[in-house]
Amino acid sequence: MSPSLRLWVLVVSLLITLVVVQILRKGRVPVKYSLLWFLSSAVILFVAIFPGVLDIFANLMGFKTISNMVIGIMLVILLFITISLTVIVSGQKEKIRLLIQEVSMLKKKVDSYEDEK
Amino acid sequence: MKNKKIILIIPAYNEEKNILRVYNDIIKYNKANNTNYDVIVINDGSRDGTSQICKENKIPTINLIHNLGIGGAVQTGYKYALKNDYDIAIQFDGDGQHSVESVKDLVEPIINNKADFVLGSRFVDNSKENFKSSLARRIGIRVISWFIKLVTGKRVYDTTSGFRACNKEIIRMFASDYPTEYPEPITNTKLLKMKFRFKEVHADMKEREAGKSSIGSWKNLYYMVNVILSILVYGSRRYK
Repeated sequence: MSPSLRLWVLVVSLLITLVVVQILRKGRVPVKYSLLWFLSSAVILFVAIFPGVLDIFANLMGFKTISNMVIGIMLVILLFITISLTVIVSGQKEKIRLLIQEVSMLKKKVDSYEDEK
Repeated sequence: MKNKKIILIIPAYNEEKNILRVYNDIIKYNKANNTNYDVIVINDGSRDGTSQICKENKIPTINLIHNLGIGGAVQTGYKYALKNDYDIAIQFDGDGQHSVESVKDLVEPIINNKADFVLGSRFVDNSKENFKSSLARRIGIRVISWFIKLVTGKRVYDTTSGFRACNKEIIRMFASDYPTEYPEPITNTKLLKMKFRFKEVHADMKEREAGKSSIGSWKNLYYMVNVILSILVYGSRRYK
């Protein structure tokens, strides 16, 4: 890994950390969900400091080039994150449906009481 | 027949042109035949005058505070039916394509304890066929029917019919669990899988009187793929 590339990777890692800290402070995301992003920025930082580990892993897993390995692994990780987000969104949709139904039924009841008055 | 509490669940989305006539037809029918069908309109967040019309004419209505789609709207009706202790719930379209005269044919097998669920169908009795639907639609319904037969071993003809009656046990089940999308073919599959007594009877259906049905060919393909996949998913589940 060339020195300039290492510098870039370092910058990206710091940037992710900064962004996550910022949205945490603003309360836009709970700590629970930020852990994943801190972890990924730590991994990137580790790679910038010890680029040699990438070679070892690429050899072990049979990748011809390091970049293929990095892109491949990232793709799989992002895929799983997306699947879990789909599950989360579906669950929320279900809860919203329940809320709309219950509130609407209550509203009908309240309206009928008000009409009687 | 008199002692059973019966309710018609009428989902309505932008049906200002139809809803009053549909309601009046039911009231007229009740008077003429000494029946006692209650009505609950589920106004699924219509953007037109549906809710005003219902209010002005004192039609029993639940106005959903946000659009939920057909599955969520109909399920609200089943929840209402369960809360108010109805014995039989009938799903009935708000656009005037179902006729009140056929309701008794759907209700009868349940009252006589011959069925748990009755589907109003355009296709069981071909001699009475008076509903002209497009070829593509017929083929679509055939294909869905074939897949339902594949996973349940039973033949349902009018798989997408939204004219259906069910007993209390199924009301309770629908109130707690009802598919949001493509509810008709999916619930047909599920009920057959669960070995409920399923009956399909002839029902008169008219062409839509006002408003238009949303049909686009890509949408249809997407619909078919989703429905078939859902049937296979439900078919692979085990009940009891």
